[in-house]
Amino acid sequence: MAMTPATRRELLRISGALSAVAAAGSTFGLQLATLGTAAAQTMPPAYQALVCIFMFGGNDAHNTVLATDANTYGRYLSARNTGNDPIALMPPGAAAQPVGAASTFTPGRTVSRASPENWGGVLPITPLTPNPIPPGTNATTRTFALHPFLASLVPIWTAGRLAVAANVGPLIVPTTKAQYNGRTVPLPANLMSHNDQQSTWQAGAAEGARRGWGGLMADQLLSMNGTNTVFTAVSTAGNAVFLSGRDVVQYQVTTGNNTPAVRITPATNTSLFGSSGNPARLAQVIRGATGGSYFGQDHAARVVRSMDSAVWLNDAFTMADVTAIPAPTTLVNPVTGATETNALATSLQTVAKLIAANAMLGLRRQVFFVSIGGFDTHDIQNSTQPVLLNRLGHAMSYFDGVLANIGGVNMRNAVTTFTASDFSRTFTTNGDGTDHAWGSHQFVMGGAVNGQNVYGQYPTLGVDQTGFTNPDMSGNILIPTMSVDQFGATLGRWFGVSDGALDTIFPNLRNFTLRNIGFV
Amino acid sequence: MRNVLAALALLVLAACGGGGGGGGGGGSGGGPPIPGVAAPTAAEAARLMTQATFGPTPAGIEAVRAAGMNGWVTQQIAVPNSLPLQTYLEARLQGLQATNPSASLNANHFYEAWWRGAATGQDELRQRVAFAYSQIFVISLADSSIDVRGAGSYYDMLLRNAFSNYRTLLEDVTLHPMMGRYLTFLANQKEDAAGTRTPDENYAREVMQLMTIGLSELNADGTVRLNSSNQPIPAYTPADIAGLAKVFTGISWYHPTPTNSTFFGGNRDPNREVRPMIFYPQFHSTSQKVFLDRTIPASVTVDVAGDLRIALDTLYNHPNVGPFIAQRLIQQLVTSNPSPAYVSRVAAVFNNNGSGVRGDMGAVVRAILIDMESRDAGVASAAGFGKLREPVIRLANWARAFSATSQSGNWLINSTSSNQSFGQSALNAPSVFNFWRPGFTPPGTTELGSRGLLAPEFQIVDEVTVAGYVNTMSSTIDQGIGATPPGGSGRDVRSAYAAELALAGDAAALVERINGLLLYGQMSSTLRGQTTDAVNAITIPATGQTAIDAARLNRVKTAILFAMASPEYLTQR
Repeated sequence: MAMTPATRRELLRISGALSAVAAAGSTFGLQLATLGTAAAQTMPPAYQALVCIFMFGGNDAHNTVLATDANTYGRYLSARNTGNDPIALMPPGAAAQPVGAASTFTPGRTVSRASPENWGGVLPITPLTPNPIPPGTNATTRTFALHPFLASLVPIWTAGRLAVAANVGPLIVPTTKAQYNGRTVPLPANLMSHNDQQSTWQAGAAEGARRGWGGLMADQLLSMNGTNTVFTAVSTAGNAVFLSGRDVVQYQVTTGNNTPAVRITPATNTSLFGSSGNPARLAQVIRGATGGSYFGQDHAARVVRSMDSAVWLNDAFTMADVTAIPAPTTLVNPVTGATETNALATSLQTVAKLIAANAMLGLRRQVFFVSIGGFDTHDIQNSTQPVLLNRLGHAMSYFDGVLANIGGVNMRNAVTTFTASDFSRTFTTNGDGTDHAWGSHQFVMGGAVNGQNVYGQYPTLGVDQTGFTNPDMSGNILIPTMSVDQFGATLGRWFGVSDGALDTIFPNLRNFTLRNIGFV
Repeated sequence: MRNVLAALALLVLAACGGGGGGGGGGGSGGGPPIPGVAAPTAAEAARLMTQATFGPTPAGIEAVRAAGMNGWVTQQIAVPNSLPLQTYLEARLQGLQATNPSASLNANHFYEAWWRGAATGQDELRQRVAFAYSQIFVISLADSSIDVRGAGSYYDMLLRNAFSNYRTLLEDVTLHPMMGRYLTFLANQKEDAAGTRTPDENYAREVMQLMTIGLSELNADGTVRLNSSNQPIPAYTPADIAGLAKVFTGISWYHPTPTNSTFFGGNRDPNREVRPMIFYPQFHSTSQKVFLDRTIPASVTVDVAGDLRIALDTLYNHPNVGPFIAQRLIQQLVTSNPSPAYVSRVAAVFNNNGSGVRGDMGAVVRAILIDMESRDAGVASAAGFGKLREPVIRLANWARAFSATSQSGNWLINSTSSNQSFGQSALNAPSVFNFWRPGFTPPGTTELGSRGLLAPEFQIVDEVTVAGYVNTMSSTIDQGIGATPPGGSGRDVRSAYAAELALAGDAAALVERINGLLLYGQMSSTLRGQTTDAVNAITIPATGQTAIDAARLNRVKTAILFAMASPEYLTQR
């Protein structure tokens, strides 16, 4: 890529580490080629990144992480192996049934690619520390399993880099079933509403929240990031309140390109409609907040951020360590059989490249937001959720793999990735899908993670009926037993945020006894 | 900002005497005349068209001036839609299949039909209002279950109902099979006897949250009612959703001889995607249904239509609907942060159009457009007034202001949804929550966010989309937009800039024309100076006709780009 003298100067100015290397090189191209490796090997060990994978729509956690003791699984089957297209998954060890066969699992159904019989049984995962057996569950040991299309997560679990946080959700205070049913304690506003719970997971308050815990944690550590703070909080998925801090502003990149930033060409090319002077004039217009409007001022501010970072971010992406990040493999859609590109994995490739580019950018704390949508499975859940979980597992596995070698350095210990979603879904089916609920199970992945364990109390499952009262469910929704504040504060502590700051970022944290869940 | 709002409220109160809204002549609610309504200047007419249409045209400005604003609204309400999307799509498919019998429609064909209407429809106000409805009663072609012809039919329904009664609109939305598909209540079954399987709650929830009453109880001015502990009062509970969900059972595909199979999608009728859904009593819940303080008792006989009527009547008559819909339509057409008094005036018209009719949407649209807050230049000059123009509306503004034409007649503008394009295509929102949320507030680090101001369209503004817009708009101004039609050349949709080329030798006159069409004559002297300088930077040579023509064209393109890329233009005031 051609580089203007201005860009070179900027690059040189920007990275302190760079200047030493630059002095040794004879041409700038050579410097760039050697820089990546040299700098990556001396990258400050203190570098840490948090990566949020947001599953938009509300992932059905009941079909993501399952308890498979006979008693619990029996209640699961009675709730889910019913309806016009039952959504129950087969038990561990069950053999996959071929397409076209008469199901032996769900009588009356002919097996297709979109029926659980075709996928085989759920995949056992065994925690190092047994998860306690909750009231109402008549089991001697608690056993767990993952959805059949999360197979690529099993080796990461076994290697100790993957943990499950059980029954986590927004809470203001610890909340019992009686308190929830009687509304006798404060509850998060607008539970079960998509937009509000997306915001509550990310920012502790319903729609309209202006600061999220990713951005607020980054605020605390901003001084570690030198002069390139613009890349402190990066999204591949549009504006996410998670990344907005008191000072931190998120930066948006494109994915799947060699150039993550988009240059405003009419304002930066050498000529515009036949005039060599007009690109500069246009730049002045689009960067200037004339007209006395807050709307115009805020738009101009975004243009300024865009223009001032585009060229040299794209140049940083020409570094050898960045271009060396391999693209994710394609994967086969389990329902259609078609080969597809995994956009989530492509997003994580861009994150990995940004981490690699950090040799030049010189940041020491970064927060990333990537997303995958489509989890609002009110209907045809058997055709949709497996496809999405297949992508999730593939993308996380890909990311875990590339982090093992960023410019020759294993960065797994420096990067912690976690999942989040609007909410989980009802335990019962509506015939071929599920509706909005509350508590969910989430994954935490990374070298620093105390993996191969389930954290928090995996709940009692099952709707109340004669002789069975579930303390963890109201109707068909799970009442969380771990708050998002506890979940986030645990990540924040690892990230280096002080206890005092965590109390400000998570104002309800003090309402909970356990401030550190311990998964990382 | 608090001062600005207070000043604004005072101004409005003073001007209107705090009176109710109405569709009266030059004044509203018996107050003093609203500036420009009776005899608008060209600038005032252009500003009305900016809010009420896909953008001013020279002819449109003259029409508003000739009829006065109220007269123009009356004329526009009477203009039917003459470019139905479904008809276009059917003909388009026939044409495609003439050469390839297995051809099918895709979302791009919908966009063609949509652009044709947006750019050339004579029902200019209807077109704009239907587009606003499409962002409240959202279905999306991003969902592969949405049939393209069905989407055309759905959009035609919104066009047809632009000025009808809200109750009719709500029922037509509810029974359209594409809404049934999108919000998954098509083929929704009653609960089972064991009480294990429950009806799908999707539509019951979203019709309340997004299309009728919203999450919290509202005052008549749209502000949230608070309880004794200063907390919002939820407008409904999970139990209300479960109760209402039972109503939306036993409704599925049209078929002349319905069976259990057709309920679940078998034996497809060729018109089922465009005909209202029908009732299948055997799948409809007969148990007690309780929602919003209404109880439909358990019954032995099945009455889908009766249950549905009670449900829709209950929603329609909820006191939240007036302020809820007023707030959303004002945000769509005029300003992101209407004053409570403005919302209150429009809600009052929703509640009673002056003739005792509730839900008269023609009257509501008029009340929004003919109000001191939407018309007064002093109100508009406040820093927090107005809204960010939607990306596709910017493109429509260009097409209309400069009389762009489609060489194929098919408006071959494919998806503009990429964040490196316009980041938006009609009827292609990521979810039922639209392209952006009406409650979106930018981060606290911004001018808007630090003041707690709403800015829905800013939800898709970021470092990539601001670049995507300038790049795509510049390329469009330069070469047009759209695929090259078979046998054609260049991009399908282009402007010849005939009227602007005539002024190319006079930079000031050229800029003034564009100011009148795109900035309702309100361009700042700074922007005017910058744009004029840029135009003058292109020298028209003394000789050589080809070089002269090229320079004149470059001057025109430059002036348009400088205007359309400017923050002043991007803010609709």
